[in-house]
Amino acid sequence: MTMMHTMLRAASQAALATALLAAAGPVLAQSAAERLDALEKRITRLEDMNQIERLQRTYGYFVDKSQWTPLSRLFADDATLEIGGKGIFIGQPRVLEYMQTAFGPDGAKEGVLANHMQFQSIPDISPDGKTGWIRSRAFVMSLGGWGLPLYENEYRKENGVWKISRLTGPFTMYTNWDGWGKNALNNTWPDKFDPPPDLPPSTVYLTYPAYYIVPFHYPNPVTGKPFKPDRGEVGAYAAPPGTPEQIESLKVGRLADGTQPIAEPPRD
Amino acid sequence: MRTRKTLLQLFGIGIVCLSPVLAAASDTAPASLEERLAAYRERVARLEDQDAIENLQAMFGYYFDKGLWNEAANLFTRDGSFEYGLSGVYIGQSRIRRAMLLFGPEGLGQGYLNNHMQLQAVITVAPDGKTATGRFQGMVQLSEPGANGVWGVGIYENEYVKERGVWKISKLHFYPTGFTDYDKGWARSTLPMKGQSALFPPDKPPTKVYRALPGNYIPPFSYKHPVTGEPLTNLPQAPDSVLGQ
Repeated sequence: MTMMHTMLRAASQAALATALLAAAGPVLAQSAAERLDALEKRITRLEDMNQIERLQRTYGYFVDKSQWTPLSRLFADDATLEIGGKGIFIGQPRVLEYMQTAFGPDGAKEGVLANHMQFQSIPDISPDGKTGWIRSRAFVMSLGGWGLPLYENEYRKENGVWKISRLTGPFTMYTNWDGWGKNALNNTWPDKFDPPPDLPPSTVYLTYPAYYIVPFHYPNPVTGKPFKPDRGEVGAYAAPPGTPEQIESLKVGRLADGTQPIAEPPRD
Repeated sequence: MRTRKTLLQLFGIGIVCLSPVLAAASDTAPASLEERLAAYRERVARLEDQDAIENLQAMFGYYFDKGLWNEAANLFTRDGSFEYGLSGVYIGQSRIRRAMLLFGPEGLGQGYLNNHMQLQAVITVAPDGKTATGRFQGMVQLSEPGANGVWGVGIYENEYVKERGVWKISKLHFYPTGFTDYDKGWARSTLPMKGQSALFPPDKPPTKVYRALPGNYIPPFSYKHPVTGEPLTNLPQAPDSVLGQ
C-alpha cells in the first residue's frame, strides 16, 4: 500500500507543520490546511473507488438471485442501461421493467442458476469527485452455459451517495455447456425479446467468434495515451484484425464502419 | 457527504472519550488541524483494514486450495468458527484443523483439486475498526482421485476481529449453492452437499439448513443496500418443494 504510506507521510508532515503553528503564525497555518485539503481529497478518492466497486459487486449479487427491485435502486433516477445488443433503457423505472419483463418477476426461483460474478474491476474517479467509471467483467455461470459480458459503466455521486448512472454491458461471448469451442450464441438485438428499448443500441457489433473491442474509459496507465479504436476497423470482426477472414467480413453483411446492420437480426 | 458526516460523528464520540478540552468543538465549528488530521488517520486506517481483510480472505483461499489445513486454521481467532455447507460448525483452531481433513489429507496430493476462489469482496469494517464482515463469491473447482471434476458456486459470509493490530477470521461460513459434474453441467447434473461427518462430528449442527441447486438459497447479506441503506437480511427465499420452505 504505497499510496497509504505516502498519505501517512503527508499527514505526518502536516502534523509537524501544525506543531510549528504557535511559533510561525497564519502563513504556515494556511499551508498546513491546504495540505490537509489535498490529503482529504486523496482519501475521499480511495473511499469513492471502494464505493463504486461495492455498487458493481452488489449489482452482481442481486442479478444472481433476481432481486430486480433492490437492483434498480442502485441506479440514479435518470440512469441508462444497455446490455448486449438490446438497446438503451432510460430511467430507473425502465431498468426495473427491463429486468422483470425479460427475466421474470423478483425473487430466486427453484431450479435456476444464473450467476453473474463480478470480476476484475478498474475503478476511476473524476478530479471533481462527482463521477466515477468502472471497466469490469461478469463471468456468467448458468443453467444455459457460460457468458462473458464486459462493463464500461459510469457512476454519479448524489448527495454523498454513489449510484449507477450508466450501465453499458456489451457481450463478449455466450455459449451453452458444450463450450465456446463448439457453440456460440449470437448477440441480442432490440426486438429479440420484450420489452422494447427506448433507444436503439449505441453500437452494433457481433459477439464471439466475431471480435469487438469495447472502448476503454482510461488511457494506457504506463504511456498515458488513450487507445483509440478505429471505427472502420474495430466495429465488428469475424476474426482478429489483419486476417483474410476479417478483411472479407468487412465486405459481407456489414456497414461501412464495420458494424452489422440491425434491420436483419442474426438468427440463433 | 454521508461518509464524512458519519466520520465527523464518530470523531465527535472519540473527542468526548479522549479529551474534555476538545469536546467543546461542535460539528458546525471549523475543525482544527489536529482534529482534521485525527479524522483522516481514522479514515486511512479503515481503508487499510478493508485491504487487510480482503487479503486475509484471499490468503485463506490459497491455503485451503492446497490442503494446507494448519496454515488455514492459523488464520482463525482462538475461538473462531468454521462452517461449510451442511457439515456443521467447528469451533476453535484445533477442531477447525481436523475438520478440514474431511476435505482430504494435509497437503492433498496427486489427483486432488480443491480450488476455492475468493472473489467479489464486499467488506464492511465497523466504525471502531475492531470488527468487520465480508461477503465473497466462491467459485469452486474440485477433483478427487478416480472421480470426475466438479464445478461449484457459493457465497461466503464471514466475520473478522482485529486482535493486537492483526486481523483474524472469527467466523467463516461458506454457503455452497450448487455443485455439478464437469461434463454434464448445471442443466443435467446437481450434486448434493455433504452432511455432518459421523467420523468427526461438528461441535454444533449447521446454523442454516438449505438445499444447494436445484434449491436457490440466498445467504443473508452482512451489509445494507448501498443506496437505500435498507437491510438485506430478509430477502424472500425461493419456495423449496423438498424442504417445504
